[in-house]
Amino acid sequence: MSTASPNARLVSLTVNGRPVARLAAPRTHLADFLREGELLTGAHLGCEQGVCGACTLLLDGEPVRGCLAYAVACEGRAVTTIEGLDQDEIAARLREAFTAEHALQCGFCTPGMLISARDVVERLPDADDARVRVEMSGNLCRCTGYVGIVKAIRRVLEDRKAR
Amino acid sequence: MSLQGAAYKTQAAGGRIVFGVGARVRRKEDDRLLRGRGRFVADIALVGMRELAFVRSPVAHARILSFDIPEQVRGQVFTWQDLEQAGVRPIRAASGLPGFKVSEQPPLAADKVRFVGEPIAVTVADTRAEAEDLASQVVAEFDELPPNVDMLAAAAPGAPRVHEHWSDNIFLETRVGQSFEKDVAAAPVTVSRSIRTQRQCIVPLEGKGLVAHWDRQAEQLVLYTATQMPHIVRSGLSECLGLPLEAIRVIAPDVGGGFGWKGLLQPEEVIAAWLCVHLDCPLRWMEDRREHLVAAANAREHHYEITAYADADGRLLGIDADAWVDAGAYSIYPFSACLEAAQVGSILPGPYDFPHYRCRTFSVCTNKPPIVPFRGVARANVCFAMEQIIDAIARAVGREAWEVRLLNLVPPEKMPFDNITGKHFDSGDYPESLRRAVAGIDLASVRRRQLQGEPDGRLVGVGFATYCEQGAHGTAVYHGWGIPMVPGYEQVQARITADGGLELRAGIQSHGQGMETSFAQVAHEVLGIPLERIRLVHGDTGLTPYSTGTWGSRSMVMTGGAVATACRRLADRLRRIAAHLLQARLDDVTLSGGKLRSGQADITIAEIARTWYLAPQLLPADVDPGGLEVTAGYKPKSDHGTFSYATHAAVVAVDAEVGLVEILDYLVVEDAGTMVNPAIVEGQIFGGVAQGIGTALYECSPYDDAGQPLASTLMDYLLPGFTEVPAIRIEHMETPSPYTEFGVKGLGEGGVIAPSAVLCNAINDALKARGAIVTDQPITPARILAALHNAGAEPPP
Repeated sequence: MSTASPNARLVSLTVNGRPVARLAAPRTHLADFLREGELLTGAHLGCEQGVCGACTLLLDGEPVRGCLAYAVACEGRAVTTIEGLDQDEIAARLREAFTAEHALQCGFCTPGMLISARDVVERLPDADDARVRVEMSGNLCRCTGYVGIVKAIRRVLEDRKAR
Repeated sequence: MSLQGAAYKTQAAGGRIVFGVGARVRRKEDDRLLRGRGRFVADIALVGMRELAFVRSPVAHARILSFDIPEQVRGQVFTWQDLEQAGVRPIRAASGLPGFKVSEQPPLAADKVRFVGEPIAVTVADTRAEAEDLASQVVAEFDELPPNVDMLAAAAPGAPRVHEHWSDNIFLETRVGQSFEKDVAAAPVTVSRSIRTQRQCIVPLEGKGLVAHWDRQAEQLVLYTATQMPHIVRSGLSECLGLPLEAIRVIAPDVGGGFGWKGLLQPEEVIAAWLCVHLDCPLRWMEDRREHLVAAANAREHHYEITAYADADGRLLGIDADAWVDAGAYSIYPFSACLEAAQVGSILPGPYDFPHYRCRTFSVCTNKPPIVPFRGVARANVCFAMEQIIDAIARAVGREAWEVRLLNLVPPEKMPFDNITGKHFDSGDYPESLRRAVAGIDLASVRRRQLQGEPDGRLVGVGFATYCEQGAHGTAVYHGWGIPMVPGYEQVQARITADGGLELRAGIQSHGQGMETSFAQVAHEVLGIPLERIRLVHGDTGLTPYSTGTWGSRSMVMTGGAVATACRRLADRLRRIAAHLLQARLDDVTLSGGKLRSGQADITIAEIARTWYLAPQLLPADVDPGGLEVTAGYKPKSDHGTFSYATHAAVVAVDAEVGLVEILDYLVVEDAGTMVNPAIVEGQIFGGVAQGIGTALYECSPYDDAGQPLASTLMDYLLPGFTEVPAIRIEHMETPSPYTEFGVKGLGEGGVIAPSAVLCNAINDALKARGAIVTDQPITPARILAALHNAGAEPPP
């Protein structure tokens, strides 16, 4: 753990609604802080270069790259991980749609994909296929060819409109 | 025709609600993955676990003169000297093919480094960041040697040798077929092409990674590793570490995609396995993306010189080809350095029937990372080359390319068909897949559109490619290659539990293919046990029968066949116990819907299971003492594997000003025999096509003249994303294999084979009006603009 670092600092934030205070070295990124310290391993590290999106988290409700945010820079903020979305209404619909449309294979990109998709559903109720593709372009998948993911997101958008 | 496949179809058509073979059921593995509760190797934490980082060679080719390791960190840094003194052996993957030159790869470089990224030292610390700090303090002094960067130069006489005791840089030269110049001397049409494909990285979203520890109670080395072939990794570790197989347990947890990159014994696995015993503490290493892009740039770099002869209609008379594969610095375990080039020789003829063929191949050793079979292995390159040739012939004879394809495809009345290299095409209607693709892509409307021109000035083109894909490779061909792994029978253990559930144990490894679901569907088809009560245990050498693992589109055919075989044996044992309990004649007892019936009487599988486990006093005296647990092995009726096939078609728009390509439509017409789960089949095709689009247009690991890799982040190595992959369309044909359970055929690699050929042909169709042609991949804007710039007034050859 990076807590051994001599210049570690105490970081206090909220994780999935629960207060957390833990030492972190300045160089520790948020995804490592959550994975190694809190054992919240749902955020996956696909590149640590800010490109693939597998580590996407919600910071104060907005999607961020867990590998590009430093833990020490998140003092006082609210983090939501995939594990914190078990009871979330949009996430539940997306999970249902993802499995119905076979929108995941190995599942490694899936948590980040769901968090980005949830953001799209929340912000853009009228998004069409093309808009969904542009909005989701910060997340990479190597298995599915994206076909099922686009269908799943559109299915949730249509379902919510129909309600 | 497979009666089994046909029978299944009848049942489905009868309106029965099916969860078995053919049903589009939802995947059992989805829920945990959708909740972030999968367990990938990076998610495993053991008490006292420390982390590894590697010092990697910054140069492509050099002698190591010395290491400078600061005194205070000596106990945390290890080099080959430490491993060699402890008896660790280099990785050695020979081929039995005559003339193969053997490379030895010390897991940490010994006296020489042979590619940028080759590990030369390992460091241990409490965290990865601290281990990397240590690695930055290790300094090695090198005497640099001239690197072999280009495979053709490396293959030329006088090139500096990667392995100095070799006579040249050729791992292996192979020759297939005979010279036939005199047979085709009068051929009306001759076309030649030089074709180059680029080096690629495989890039599963999860890199490689491992946790290694010594289990004191089991007295066993335990390696959790992101692999497609745990049993083969165990065999390789045993060879390198000198430990007997039973002292090693290899476990693949959830694995985040493989596509071939996780189908080898990695040097890092050997090092970590030795070091965790040496230090007596658990160790973890996770390949980061830079390590992957630099040290694992290892796939699909080929060069072809092809001449084709045809008659005036475009009927192929002969193919004469030389092919080079850049195999990198070492031969990998278990597939070796020669599998890819040898495969080129045997599969270049594709799905076509023609009389004369000759192919020489060279596996060239260079100062780059060792080559690993990437999904489709040589097929994506071979299809790219061969399908360009078909289009070139079509131009030469002035016909539509699809017509020339149709003229040369093996027709259905010749099935099963032994082609010119001895491949046994099992079944299907290749021309029909092409005809459906021509209709489905609406060729006529594309031609009209080309005549009208685009309002935005872009050039529209249409392309086709047809291929067949050997899956579930048999024993003879691998025995022939003489590499460290030969697939034989695939085994499955099946056990009915006391409460009527079913456990399946398979040595194969599922990492996205959905085998926890599809194998359950097969078992359900035979036994009728509900899917939710069927559990697959896989990827753990301690719990499963031996398997060569997941590669070569083999899992559904081989392990699926073993699941069916094991379940049928269980069904027989259930019937015998049921006959006794129902006081019926054995011949009168049938199994359906999870119940054994005789006349009006029936008994559930769960009741029989309770009897076996909890009320054995009720069992017949002659009951099989093997109980409700069997291990069954399976091979298809033919050792030649299965042949799925497809035609892909695409329409593109090329912007001649900036060289950008947009895919307007993409259609796949495929036949993988009986589909166990059509959703999973389609998912494999979609994903394969996406990777093929990457191969065609984007992905490339370039090297400079010094052998330095130039793409080390995902900003340089471009993967296709949401906006690059179109809404791919699929049409299914379903010709059951005559040789396999249910008539299934392997198709996992298929989607990736044709896209680069299709898109190249479509782009060339678009560029035709400007007299330009592209032959090399990736087909980048720069390549398209260069082709347009170089286009003369003469139409391309």
